[in-house]
This record gives sequence, structure tokens and C-alpha cells, in this order.
Amino acid sequence: MEFLLNKKLKANIVSISISVVLTFLITIILLLILGKNPVVVLGTMFGEVFGSGYGLGQTLFKATPLIICGCGLAICFHASIFNIGAEGQLNAGSFVISLVAFYFSGLPFILLFPLCLLSGFIVSGVFGLIPAIIKIKKGVSEVISTIMLNFIILALVNYLLIDFFAVKSTVRTEKISESFMIPKFSEYFQMFQGSSLNLTFVFALLLALFTYYLIYKTSFGYKLRAVGFNETASKYMGIKNNKIILLAFFIGSGITSFVGINFIMGYKGYYELGFSNNLGFTAIAVALLAKNNPIGVIFSALLFGILDYGGLAVNNIVPKEIMFVIQGIVILSILSVDKLVEKYYG
Amino acid sequence: MNIIVSILSLTFFAQVLRLFTPYFLGANAANFSERAGVINIAIEGFMITSALGYALFTYLTNNIFLGFVCAILVNLLFSLLYALFVIKLKINQIVAGVGFNLLMAGLAKFLIVFIFQSSSNTPRIPDLPNIPYIQDIPYVGEVLSDYIILFSFALIFISNFVLFKTKFGLRLRSAGENPEAGESLGIKIRLYKLYGVLICGFLSALGGIWLASNQNSFSDGMVAGRGYIALAAMIIGKWKPVNILFACIMFAFFEALEITFQISGTFIPSQIIQMLPYLITILVLIGFIGKTKPPASDGIPY
Amino acid sequence: MNAIEFKYITKRFGDLTANYNVSFAVRKNSVHCLIGENGAGKSTLMKILFGIYKPDSGIIKINNVEKSFDSPLDAIKSNIGMLHQHFMLIEDFTILENVILGSEVTIKYKIDFEWSEKTLNNFNDKYNLGLNLEQKISEISISEQQKVEILKLLYRNSEILIFDEPTAVLSPVEVKEFYKIIEKFKDEGKTIILITHKLHEVKEIADRVTVLRRGEVVYETEKENLDINILSRKIVGDVILKNDISKETVMINQEDSVIKLSNITLRKNGHDILNKLNLSLHNGEIYGVCGVEGNGQSELVDLIFGLEKKFSGYLEKNTNKISLVPDDRLKKGMIKEFTIGENLILKDKNKLNITKKYLTGLTDEVINNFDVRVPENSVIMKLLSGGNQQKVIFAREIELNNDVLIFSHPTRGVDINATAFIHSKIIEQRNAGKAVLLISSDLDELLSLSDKFGVIYKGTLVKEFSSELENIQNETMKNKLLEKIGKLMIGISVE
Repeated sequence: MEFLLNKKLKANIVSISISVVLTFLITIILLLILGKNPVVVLGTMFGEVFGSGYGLGQTLFKATPLIICGCGLAICFHASIFNIGAEGQLNAGSFVISLVAFYFSGLPFILLFPLCLLSGFIVSGVFGLIPAIIKIKKGVSEVISTIMLNFIILALVNYLLIDFFAVKSTVRTEKISESFMIPKFSEYFQMFQGSSLNLTFVFALLLALFTYYLIYKTSFGYKLRAVGFNETASKYMGIKNNKIILLAFFIGSGITSFVGINFIMGYKGYYELGFSNNLGFTAIAVALLAKNNPIGVIFSALLFGILDYGGLAVNNIVPKEIMFVIQGIVILSILSVDKLVEKYYG
Repeated sequence: MNIIVSILSLTFFAQVLRLFTPYFLGANAANFSERAGVINIAIEGFMITSALGYALFTYLTNNIFLGFVCAILVNLLFSLLYALFVIKLKINQIVAGVGFNLLMAGLAKFLIVFIFQSSSNTPRIPDLPNIPYIQDIPYVGEVLSDYIILFSFALIFISNFVLFKTKFGLRLRSAGENPEAGESLGIKIRLYKLYGVLICGFLSALGGIWLASNQNSFSDGMVAGRGYIALAAMIIGKWKPVNILFACIMFAFFEALEITFQISGTFIPSQIIQMLPYLITILVLIGFIGKTKPPASDGIPY
Repeated sequence: MNAIEFKYITKRFGDLTANYNVSFAVRKNSVHCLIGENGAGKSTLMKILFGIYKPDSGIIKINNVEKSFDSPLDAIKSNIGMLHQHFMLIEDFTILENVILGSEVTIKYKIDFEWSEKTLNNFNDKYNLGLNLEQKISEISISEQQKVEILKLLYRNSEILIFDEPTAVLSPVEVKEFYKIIEKFKDEGKTIILITHKLHEVKEIADRVTVLRRGEVVYETEKENLDINILSRKIVGDVILKNDISKETVMINQEDSVIKLSNITLRKNGHDILNKLNLSLHNGEIYGVCGVEGNGQSELVDLIFGLEKKFSGYLEKNTNKISLVPDDRLKKGMIKEFTIGENLILKDKNKLNITKKYLTGLTDEVINNFDVRVPENSVIMKLLSGGNQQKVIFAREIELNNDVLIFSHPTRGVDINATAFIHSKIIEQRNAGKAVLLISSDLDELLSLSDKFGVIYKGTLVKEFSSELENIQNETMKNKLLEKIGKLMIGISVE
């Protein structure tokens, strides 16, 4: 495959492999300290994940939103934009998707689906433009502004939902029409019976390919990365840095809204407060582990999916929350291993 | 009318002071780190681990004092690890901060289930002791006799004194402003950055401990973004202890107001008040309310 | 007695030899001037003295004792103080805080501000510095900032003082004040090393002068034998005019300038970076700009290229198709993490489906046409040598086929072969009828390539040469011209 040939990518793959191995080693040590048999725990986990269609389906289902959000963030990170605001952005977009799907119930699916995508994209994208604009105009670091915006957006969505749109005495919107629900894999493949895995997973894979193409095969992608590497040089090459930063923020944030498709149209049929459960932050780890390569994002999202579902699978032996710890260890290992590998590859 | 009466009450005042304490401790923690040029957006995580550490070790040892000491040690260890990442390895401080937050929050989630078989909270633990006699004063006695609250009052002066009147403070600040200049005068810049990170770990530990003690347990999500509000307070306070004090009082006031509104019910939606601290922070950053300027080399690895 | 003795100091950075076998002595209680062009190795030598760099070979003696410093702290302890070219000051600190930092006097834990203030005010009065110790650095002028640096040296009791181009940032009146301070230092028995570009300055205060060129000592003289004409020639070196590059005569219409700057003034932070500058570029003509760095060259480039928009005066551009080879390759000219091909396409119009094959094709073409030497086609730019990097940038800019080409220090840090190649490409562009602006501090390069030639000083083109360049008949005429240019570059008017 073409993307494996580059030297830089080789270094990346080395450091990713080392950090995944390192994470497993630390996990094993951790399990030993806790008095659990690592062979049993890991064996059960992988057995459950890969041993049944249901397990595999659930793993892929958990990976789906991480692929989507990871791709959005990869675009931002390539431009050296530290978008910590995905959690807020994706909630705003998902909320709007649920409303559009509910209130435009008269439309045929073929029209409604793009409308949902578009409205979610624009809403999340616009919330991404706010930090972009104040970064460009006022030089305010996007780190702080996106963190602050997370809270603002979540409070705003909370307010709109509770006071106007929620089903009485719940924290969710009305259920959308059954006919708008995206088909589950189990409808086509018997083996996935009972799993929530739906066609959004395919959509996520296509999105990753599209994002890969955008970043590595178009002028926009090259300019995006040029700005990310060296803003001064890109300025002298006639690239309009501000335009690139605005676009990266808009597209990257906009894409995060698509996680709502998986949850609303593929799973529950409604938007619910807290559905994202820190997805916007976990996706940062997913993108970092993949070194912001969208194809890599697929794999690192799968790893996180395995941890997520695998946690449930081993819950009887060790609490499933151990997977949060392992996720934390993954991101810290990739950060530190990266620096060490960098020294060898120059 | 009722609302105005309840706002003007001493109970409300005591409430503000209570809410103020973790903000102020967190904001000063962040400030010591950033004055040394190290951004630490993992304050949230540091408060979580220390809150859990306090509850956990107090429960395990049945000794408040040991719980207190262990919670601080836990945070100092995490601070050392953080310093290894951002000072020694020079890893991007924002990314490392996100990673530490994920790890620390995850660790807390895991440990309460693993040790207490509860997905939400630890068993009840006793309060930290209060100062005798003072605690008998009606309304405000409980607040004014709390050692950590009193320490945070003292911290206003301690922070100011340490940062601006001592040799240590001067050198620490030089690390955050212009490390090359400091180095050219023979100052060990990275050592001072380490001090900043350690002080940050210590103060944020006090914040976490206080939260757990005040609630008599640790529960998942109890820090609830206070670490981020503390960062916001530091920014609005322009990295100056006295201004940070006012920013924290303001945020505490809004939160107390929100609680009052929730109880008594009002036309202003509580979510709107909830978002105010963050909204104000952004407005301050944009420059609507005076200019803010972080230490010149804040966040740049050296 | 000698305060400092340099003996056979050699220092290399990779391929570059910054100092070679440098030996000279500085007498105690004297003002010793060290002069030379940019990159002649003066700053490196001083950084070695101050313990920032370690020499590859050679020794340094302080007061006749051999010393080896591992860090500035060691140098400070030996009572050596350095006033850096770029001030080492903390903007947000007060003057007092800046001065005492690192050598604070405390009572218990508290800094003894009272004592510090008294001590510093004593120096303040004695040397007439006129500083208000409570002010922050961000509130005071550049010349005051320099006085703060001097105060730092005084506070630390430095006996040997190194000043790295101290007067570059000062106005003439401030320079006079500065001399007075230097005189006072000398009166007190201190030893001063002064690095400078300004020859008249040397004449005024130097006791002894050492000239460095390309890392070596080429000339040394005492105050009594000081001759500015000799000095300026020693600094520039013997320039050989090369006539092996053929410049075809291109018919140009003097009335039709492609780009014309009239009375352009550019103010930044209260200084006129460009000052009523006039310049016009014509087709088929190379316009050379020479001057000591920092006299407005880079701002002039930004302005013509369109990155600098806040200026007064009149800028007439008859084209927007401008190519630029910037002065700092690594910072401005390329994305060093990208491959050659990826750097080439950054100036393309929006394009979809950029394939590996397309990039390889572009890269091969450039490698062949521009003689770029690479280990493999997909190598990232960072791993190429300076000359090859520069060729890639040249290729990109030339292939754009723009009307105007700006070359800023095109051969800096480039080896001889690549230099010759780059020069031929520049001439080729001129012969093809393009308008070329060439900025360089290499007089050799400028004289051999330019059709017209201007000397820039403090943001103004102080003199333009054109016919003089063609009419050089012999060595004497050439030397006279060089002398003239050398003087103009440092602000001495000739006529």
C-alpha cells in the first residue's frame, strides 16, 4: 500500500507498535498488581470480541463514532489546531440532527439523510468557527476557547432540550420515525444478531477514506499540512493561512456531528443528554495514536472499540472501568514513545 | 423577593465561601505552574485523584491525617510524572494535559468500582476536623473554622509574597517569562519549572481533598469541571493572585446563585447561569473586559 | 598586561568553520574593537569566551591564567560580563527585578529590595544612567533597555565587559552617551571588548582593533595607525570581479517599470524601517540591493511581495505574478518535513487527486533540470544539503514563470558549485526579460550580477550605481568603488 512506503510513516508505525505493546505490558503488570490473572482477563476479552458475531458487531459499533470524530479532529490537528472542543461541537450537531429527523418526518429518507448530515455539519462547524475567528482576529489560543465552549454548548443544548424539546420527565428528544432508522448489519448478516452495529460503520469507513484523500491527495490537504508545519513559510508561499485555519476548523468540527447519525439514526432514535460520554476527548486520543492519519484512525478506533466492548466482556473478573485506565495509558505511551523514536529517526 | 432575601443571607455568604475554596486553590495551583511557564490543563484530573486519594486512604487507614497526607503524595507523584512528560521529554503540554485528564479520571472511575464495588461513590468518610469554638458561631462558624478554607484565605498573601517578594518567586517567574534570560544569569530554569509543577500538584490536591471532605465521600464526576473553571479564573485574574481572588469569588457567587435559583425556581434558566463563567472567560479573552497577557513563555518547552 | 588572550581558537559547526586559528590579545584596561562582516565569526568567538560554546581547539587565558568555562555562570564568576546583541531582559519584570535576578540579596526569605534599590541607584547616579528602577522593561525605550543591561554588568562587578554591537540600536545622541559610559568604565580600570560594524565608532574609542574575516584574524592595528580606508577594505576582502557569466543585452524601456516604489515609508514600533525609499524594477534588469543586514531589506521584500501592507507612499505594481526566494530557507522558503515534490506543488492552483506518480514526475524533472543531488526521489527536504534545498526552491519559483523575481540572499550557506549554478539561473531569468530584485550582503555576488545597484542604509537607498559597474577598467578603480560602497553601507556619506 502506498501510504506504508514513506519513511516518516515507517517511523510512525514503529512508535505506534511500541506504544501498543508497552500499553499491554503495563496492563498486564497492573492486572498482576490487582491480583487478577492477565491471561484470563485478556483471553476473555479477545475471546468475547472476536469469538462471536455479536461481540465483533458491538466492537465495531463502539468504534464507529470514534472513527468519525477522530477523522474530524485529524483535520484540525494537521493544521496544528488543538481543538479540544469536539465534545461540545458534536453534541450541538447531534442535537440538531435529531430535531431535523423528527420535524421533517414528511420527507423521504433519501432527502432527509443529506439534510440531517448538512444541518449537523453546519451547526457543529459554526461552533468550530467561533474559536477559529477569535484565534485569527484576537490571537486567542483555541485551547482555552474550545474548552470554555464545551461547557457553554453543553449548557445551551441542555437548556434547549429540557425547556423546549425533551419528552416530558426525560432528558431525550422525541423518537424519530422508524422509517428513518439506518439498517442494522444483523438484517443482512445473521451472525451480528442482537448487535447494534449499523450501516453508519460503512459510512464512517467511507468518511475515513474521504478524509485521507482530502489530507493527502488534494492541494487543500497539502496547504493544510504546510500551515500546520510552518505558518511563516506557508505565508511566504502565498498560502492564505487564515482561510486554511477557518476551513480546517469548520470542516473538522463539522464532521464530528456525524457521530449523531450512529446514535440517533442507527441506534436509539433520539438524542439524549450525556450520550457522548466524553467521546470528544477519547477521540483526541484516537487521532493522536493514529498520528492523525485517517486510515490509521480506523485501526486506533478499533483498538479503543475493543477496549470499550472488551471491558464489558471482562466485567465479571475486573470492573469494566479498567478500560478507561488503559485508554489513558495508551495516549501517554504514544506521546512518550514518540519522542524517543523521533530521536532515532531524526 | 424571596430570592433577594436568600441572597443577602449569611447562609448564602457561607455558601459562596465554600464554593470559592476549590476554585481558588485550583486557580493558584495553575498559576504557580504557568508562572513557571508550564500549562497544566490537567488540573481537573489532579483534583479528581486527590479527592479520591483522600477518601480512599482515609477509609482504608481509618485516619483522616493519613488520608490527607496520602492524597497529597498521590498528587505529587502524578506531578512528577507530568513534569517528566512536559519538562524532560518536552511533550506538548496541551496534549499531555488531555492525556493526564483521561488517565486520572479513568483511574478514579475504575478504583471506586474495584475497591468499593460502587459505580458512583465511596462509603462515607468523616470530615476534616474544624477549629473548636469558632465552629460554634452561628451560620458562618462551620465555614470559618475549616482549616483548608482558612488556608486559602492565607494563600492570597502567601501567593503574592512567594511570587513577588522572594528570590524563589523571582526565579520561578523568570522561567515563565524568558528562560534564556534567566539561564544567561545562571538560573537552573528547568528545576524551577519542576518546582512550579510540584506546587501545582500540592495546591490542587488541597482543592480535591477539600471537595471530598466537604461531601464526606468521593463520587464520580464530583469535581465537575471545577479544574477548568479554576483555569478560567486564573486567566481572568491575569495570573495575579489578588485578581484571581476576585474572579473566583465571582464564579462562586454565580454558582451559589444557580443553586439558590434551582431551589426557589425562577424565570432565569439555571443553565444560562451555569455557562456564565465560561462565557465571561471568552469575552475577557476577546478583550471586551481589559487585556490579558499570560507569562511570555507560557507553554513553550525549554 | 593582558586581560584576555585567545590562542589558536578553532570552532566548527558541521561543515561551517566559524573560527579558525584565532589568536589575539586584549590589553587590560583598554577598549578593544572586534570588527568584521556578518558571519565573520565575531559573535561565535565571544560566545566561546562567555562559556556558551566550547571551542574545538585552542585556549583562552584570563589575566594570564588558562580558563575553560562550561557555562555563562563560570564566566560570570570570573567577572566577565556580556551585553548580548539581543537583550536578555524580561519584559514583564521591573528594571530592578531584571538586574538582581540570579544574584538576589535576601533577608530571611524576602528579597532585600531596599538594599538593592540603594545599590542600583548608586550606579545609576555614578554613570548617569537615569533609570527609574520601578519601571517595567515593556515601558522603556531600547536605549534604556541597554542601560539596564549595563546596570546588570555593574551589579555583578564585571571587570571584563563584552559588548556585542551595542550601538546598532542607538540614535547618534544616544551613541554619544554610550561612549561616555565606556570612557568611565575605562577610567575605573575595566577592560572592554566592543564588537561593531561602525568604523567611525572604532576611530573614536578603540585602543586596538582586530579584523575578522571568514573566521580568521586578517588584520590588527593600534589606535595610532588606524586608517578607515584600510579597515573597510580588510573587512570586505578582495573582491574578484567575475566576467564569465554572459549577460545579453536586453532592450528595456526605462519608462516602463514593472514595479515602482515612490517615497515608501514603513513605521514599526515607532521606528522608520523604510524611510522615503524609491526604487523601480524593469524588465530584463537585475537590481541589486546591498547593505548591512537589518537596514530594511527584509521589510522591502515583504512589501513588494505583498505581505506588508501598512506603509505610506506610493507602490505601483503592474503585475501580481511575483516569485520569491526568501532569505531564510528553513523558516520561510520550504516545509522541511515535506518531500521535494510536495514542496513544489504548494504554489499550484487548487488541484484534486495529487498522486504519487505526479509528484515523482515533478521531482524527477526538477532533479534533472536543476541538478539537485538526492539519495532518493521521496526524501524529505530537511535531509538535503543547503545548496540542494536552495535549488529546489529556485526551481519552484522559476517554474512559476512569473514577471518579477525576488532573490534574497540566494547563495547564503550554499557551496561554490551550487552558487555558480544559482548565479547562472539568475542571469538566465534576466536574459529572458524578467525583472529581478537581488538582495545580498555578498558584494562579490552583487557586483558581478547586477545591472543596477543600490546601497540601503536605515531604510533608504542612499546611492544608486549603474554605469560605474560596467566601467571598471582596473584594480584601482575597483578598489575605489568598493571603498565607496563600504563607507555607504555604514552610513558615511561620500561624494
